[in-house]
This record gives sequence, C-alpha cells and structure tokens, in this order.
Amino acid sequence: MPTTVAQTVGVPRPRTRHIAHGFGSGVRVVAIVVALAWSLAPVYWMLATSFKTELEAAELRPTIWPHAPTLENYRALWNGSLPFVSFFLNSAATSVVTAIFAVMIATPAAYALSRARFRLRRPIGYAILIVRMLPLVVLLAPLYLLLLHAQLLDTRAGLVVGFTTFGLPFAVWMIKSFIDAVPIEVEEAARIDGYPRWQILVKVVAPLMLPGLVTTAAFVFMEAWNNLIFPLALVTTLEKQTLPAALVLTFSGQFKTDWGGMMAAATVTTVPLMIAFFAVQRSMVRGLTSGAIAGA
Amino acid sequence: MERVKWLDSMVMPTVAALALVVGYPIVSTIVLSTQDYNLVATEAARFVGADNYRKLVADPIFWQSLRNTALYTFGSVAISAALGLVFALLMERFVGRRGRVARLLLLTPWAVPFVVIAFLFRYMYLQNGGAINALLLSMGAIAAPISWLNVSTLAMPAVMVANIWAMTPFFFLLLGAALAGIPNEVIESARVDRASAFSMIFRIKLPLLRNALLIGGLLMIIANFNDFAKIWAMTQGGPGYSTTTLVVYVYRQAFENFSFGYASAVGVCWLLLLLAFAIAYLRALRLT
Repeated sequence: MPTTVAQTVGVPRPRTRHIAHGFGSGVRVVAIVVALAWSLAPVYWMLATSFKTELEAAELRPTIWPHAPTLENYRALWNGSLPFVSFFLNSAATSVVTAIFAVMIATPAAYALSRARFRLRRPIGYAILIVRMLPLVVLLAPLYLLLLHAQLLDTRAGLVVGFTTFGLPFAVWMIKSFIDAVPIEVEEAARIDGYPRWQILVKVVAPLMLPGLVTTAAFVFMEAWNNLIFPLALVTTLEKQTLPAALVLTFSGQFKTDWGGMMAAATVTTVPLMIAFFAVQRSMVRGLTSGAIAGA
Repeated sequence: MERVKWLDSMVMPTVAALALVVGYPIVSTIVLSTQDYNLVATEAARFVGADNYRKLVADPIFWQSLRNTALYTFGSVAISAALGLVFALLMERFVGRRGRVARLLLLTPWAVPFVVIAFLFRYMYLQNGGAINALLLSMGAIAAPISWLNVSTLAMPAVMVANIWAMTPFFFLLLGAALAGIPNEVIESARVDRASAFSMIFRIKLPLLRNALLIGGLLMIIANFNDFAKIWAMTQGGPGYSTTTLVVYVYRQAFENFSFGYASAVGVCWLLLLLAFAIAYLRALRLT
C-alpha cells in the first residue's frame, strides 16, 4: 500500500475526505449523530416551543413539531404588558458600551505589559489574572455600598462600571497575546522618528491587531450579556433591568405557565450572543491555547 | 545606569479601575466580616471580632453548601471533560466541509446564555409535559413522570446535567485543538508499531493532552465555583438546601437577609479556598 511508505517517513497523515473507513467507522457515525443530537436538541426545543401556542406548549404529551406555528409569542414580547423592548435595549446598551470601554482601557495596559520595562510588570500581570477568578458574589455587598454612595445604584452606568471592571482582566490578557504576536520591528521606524508611545500604539500597533481587538470586544460583550448577578443585585427598577435578570424576575408572574412566551423571550436573549459567538469562534482556539482565556 | 521605574503610566487606568471596584471591595469584605452589619436593621454596624466566623463553623448550612459546591464543581467538570474528550476523539478525523459544520454545531451550547439554559432545562424537566420525562417514558426508562427539580436527591444531578451540557463544548474545543497539535510523527510511529486503538488513546494521546486538561480543568473549576446564574434560575438553591452552593448561600445572606457581615465572613473563607486554586492555575500555566 503506498500510504504505508508515506507514513513511515512521517509525511502528514493522509486527509480522508470524510469519516475514516474501516473498522469502527459505523460506530463512529452513530456516536457523532448522538453527540449532535445531545448538543442541538435543547436548542431545537427552545425554538420549536417559541412558535407554539400557550396551550400547545403546556400539553401533557409534548408535540415535537408545532402543530399550528404562531408568531404570537414574539408579538407579545413586542407589545405585551412587560417592557421587553427596554430589557433588550438595556442589555444591548450596557454590553456594547462595556465592550468598548474595556478594550479602550485594556489596550494601553496590555501594551505596557507586553513591551514596557517596569518592576511591577509581572506582579501586576498576575494580580490581574487573579482578579479574574474572584467570585463576583463575594464582592457584591461592598460593591453595592460603593455604588450606593456614588449614586450609581439602579443605573445603567453602575452596571457598566461593574461589567467593565470584571471584563478588564480578560481583555488585558487577550490583547496582550495579540500584541506579543506583532513583531517589534514594525515599531522601530516610528520610534526612531521620535513618535511618543501613545501614537505608536494608536497609529502603528492597533491597526495591525484590529481583528484581535474586535475579538476581545466580542468576548467582553458576551460576558456582559450573560451576567445575571450584577443586574439582579445592583438594579432595583424593573424597567432598567437587563434581559437575563428580567427573565428571572418576571418568570414568577407573567410566564409561570406560558412556556411558549418564555421560550420566545429566551430565543431573543440567545440570538445576539450566538451572533457574537460564531463571529469569533475561529479565534477562540487561539485564545484558549495562549492561556489568555481566563474563564469562559 | 538606567533606573527602572516601578510602574508604567499605561497600566494605570486598569490598575485604578481594579483597585476601586475590586481592591476596595476585598478590603471592605474583610472588614465587614468582623462586623454585625445588617443593611435593613436600624442600629449601626458594630465590631464583633470573630463572631461571624464562629457562627459559620457551627452553621450546618454552610458546610452543606460547601459540600454541594464541591459536588457541583468537580462532578460537572470531570464529566464535561470526559465528554469533551470523547467528542474531540470522534471528530478528530472528520475533515472537509461537513466536518467543519458538525464541529460548529457541537459548539452551539456555548453560545446559549446561562439564564436561558436554566429556563430551557427547567421547561424540559417539567413533571407534566416536560420533554425529558416524555422521552424517558417512551423509552421505558421510567414508569411514571418524575418531578426532577423538586426531589432533593435528584435536583443536584439534574442541575449538573444542564451545566455539563453547557460546559462540554469548552473541553471539546480545547482538546480538539490540543489533539490537532500532536505531531504527526508521534501518531505515525505508534501506528507503525501497531498500537491498538485502546493504547493509541490511553498511552499516546491522553498523556500528550495532560497540559490542556490541567489548564482547562482548573479554569472551569474556578468558573464553576462562581457559577450563579444556572443554579439560581433553576432551583434558587432548593428544594431545601439541596442545591445551595456557596454562591447561592452568600447571595441569600446578603441580598435576602441583608446580613452583609455574615455573608462577608462566608465570602472570605471562600476567597481563601479559591486563592488556592488560582495559585495552582498560575503554577500550571508556568509549567506549560
């Protein structure tokens, strides 16, 4: 067989176009189908239920496919009794602003940690990584008091402060890994011409790692969008809530039996996260393997 | 001789933000933990020394939530890592367009918000009309529908299943990348030596995945220690205290009883525990 010759000299493994042939391939196909079903069935169930009437969603023998598909659940989110549009806008505004702030604050720090020489460089790098691992809930009580005194409790600005700070450590480490990959030579010319560091960062380095900055922003966005504990504890007016907290707070009332409506709201909450996730999933491996991702 | 400065102006915004929003609360938590401070009580905070800590040692619910946290964290992480490894091995040679699409689809649970996962599984766990009961009944695995989240012995495993579903893509992606990074020479020479499929996985590949498993595992242990959204939105820690983890317990003490002092004492203990894992993580990073 010609392939054995190639194998013995360590040529890259022959790329089988589809699943490997031979022993075990049938088992493998079945296992992959099971894995896909496990991963996708709950998401399918959410989508299918969101198009069911309240009655059908509550049926004792659940229907796999909506018998009478309806958009009523989504329409009710738009013009129902709850300010769902506000929830969505609150989530979108706080998450987007957080992503922008976090990247803006983290980029110079990452640049300094990557390029500058100062004595506290390593300790600060590690301290930032450890902050990342702190339990949010433990810091919640003092943070609550802090925002109370700053009159930022129950405001979107207060949420952005919390989200941004806890997004920073991750952003710093991720952006640092992107800056590390930019060859230092590209900065030399600008340095010889006497440009200050800030200008080198903004005009030379940042454009080179723009995709990295966008990826980082998307990660911070996802994390802010996902956060439940901050809005739940730091926002008290329902109209100012974000989607995750609103789902929890309104469930006891509105959606107690209305699973169709609940799943429509869940779908709306999921879509922005899914868009951000699939936009950056390619660079996720890079983030993971560089040790930059500190908590998913 | 050039003098090396201590700090760099460019890290100052980050350091300032962290000092204010994280550093101050840490110090404040430690201070609060020595006080009898109730936000809604009329009397002012007063210093009580180690009283909160004495109360904590004698508090059975604290110990139970510690056990629950350990079970939830280590159980979910171990099973997700195993599942993610199986997925990665299954997909290893599945290349081409269909392989790429299948890989993306396997990542889907990662893109679902935690709160949504919680409500989705809550709906599927329903005793009457829940998809999981319907499925198990039709397969003959159970005789009567079960109220998964309302039975104290079943609630924790049920919440863990949702958590495992959410976490598996992380390990799948991480281990898939690590598998792809194994040099072809290693695989080929094992193949030439006619290594069996079993020893190929357990003697050749697994040892080479050790670092990825270690780092990924520690990261997820830390993340799960702090997981709030899934448990809170599914069971709020119940029934009884059967799914109350440390996060849930601290949250209840602080934001339902408003006893910030006691909540802070629990928090400080937990900070110390977490620090041990954080240090282990940093060491693991340096090893690789």
